[in-house]
Amino acid sequence: MSEAVAHDPDFLAEEVRRYHHFITLALWLAAITGAEIVLIFLPMPMSVILTALSLMSAIKFFAVILWFMHLIYDHKLLFWIFMCGMVLAFATYAAVLALFSVQDIDTKWFS
Amino acid sequence: MSQAADATHAHAPTSTGIDHKKLIMWLFLASDCMFFGTLISTHLLYRKLYPTGFTDAEGHQQFIQKLFNIELTSFSTFILLMSSFLMALAVSAMHKGQLKSFRRNVLGVIFFGLIFLGCQVYEFTHFFHEGLTIQNSVFGSTFYVLTGTHGTHVAIGILWLILLYFYSFTGKLTGHMGGLDVEVAGLYWHFVDIVWIIIFTVVYLVEYLGPSGFWGTGLPLAQ
Repeated sequence: MSEAVAHDPDFLAEEVRRYHHFITLALWLAAITGAEIVLIFLPMPMSVILTALSLMSAIKFFAVILWFMHLIYDHKLLFWIFMCGMVLAFATYAAVLALFSVQDIDTKWFS
Repeated sequence: MSQAADATHAHAPTSTGIDHKKLIMWLFLASDCMFFGTLISTHLLYRKLYPTGFTDAEGHQQFIQKLFNIELTSFSTFILLMSSFLMALAVSAMHKGQLKSFRRNVLGVIFFGLIFLGCQVYEFTHFFHEGLTIQNSVFGSTFYVLTGTHGTHVAIGILWLILLYFYSFTGKLTGHMGGLDVEVAGLYWHFVDIVWIIIFTVVYLVEYLGPSGFWGTGLPLAQ
């Protein structure tokens, strides 16, 4: 960051705005984490809790990468680079899960 | 994006318009994402295939839900989230050229990171004394490898931030490149945080779902 930019009033105003965003986001992240802990002890169907936990985890995940990691302000290419890694990670999980779920393999095809 | 935001993330004179350091870091994070993806997948798959807990040295069946301490894990999760917040403030301070504020926030991140590592060391020691080792069960193997790899990432991040903290006293951590160095370190730290967000949910919280855990054998229903 050049010194000229660091003293630009618009730039400083933007940084102050972001500073407040970070504080708000940190409070939300703490609140969501608290809600997750309460949720697991509630007498509700497991599917509902699991969906809610996944959703809250995804919200926290994307909040951090978009705001704290500046992806919302940065070049779009960086977002897609990271998403490639994410998609491949999930695809690996899905593929291995499918592989391990195969129960009845007709072994005659391998002999 | 506003003009000021444009100034903060001004396009570098490269073919992609992105600083090479930042681009390389994002490529590394994408690859690390796949790395953690495989570790988490392995843990979940083996948890599904071997849903029982583990047998301790005396031959007693132990249950994972009973072993975990949700209060401690929640505390360390909160600590790591707050360290991420301080890291964002440190990057912001560096962008504004406020070196003192940057140092204060980075010290906070290092402190919180050390607390997190302390919690993990305590947890590992406790589990070990309860009989869970990396060798005696599939759960032990996948759990220690996954959380241990994450802990190693945290330790590397702390070391990086300590070096950055002392480097800031040399007077070389200034200008665009100084800001970029801090931003790249920040990206790494936030990544460590988001990996923990996933681990916290899929490794720890799911063990508490329902009376006998998500995997069906967390605790006997009678207990």
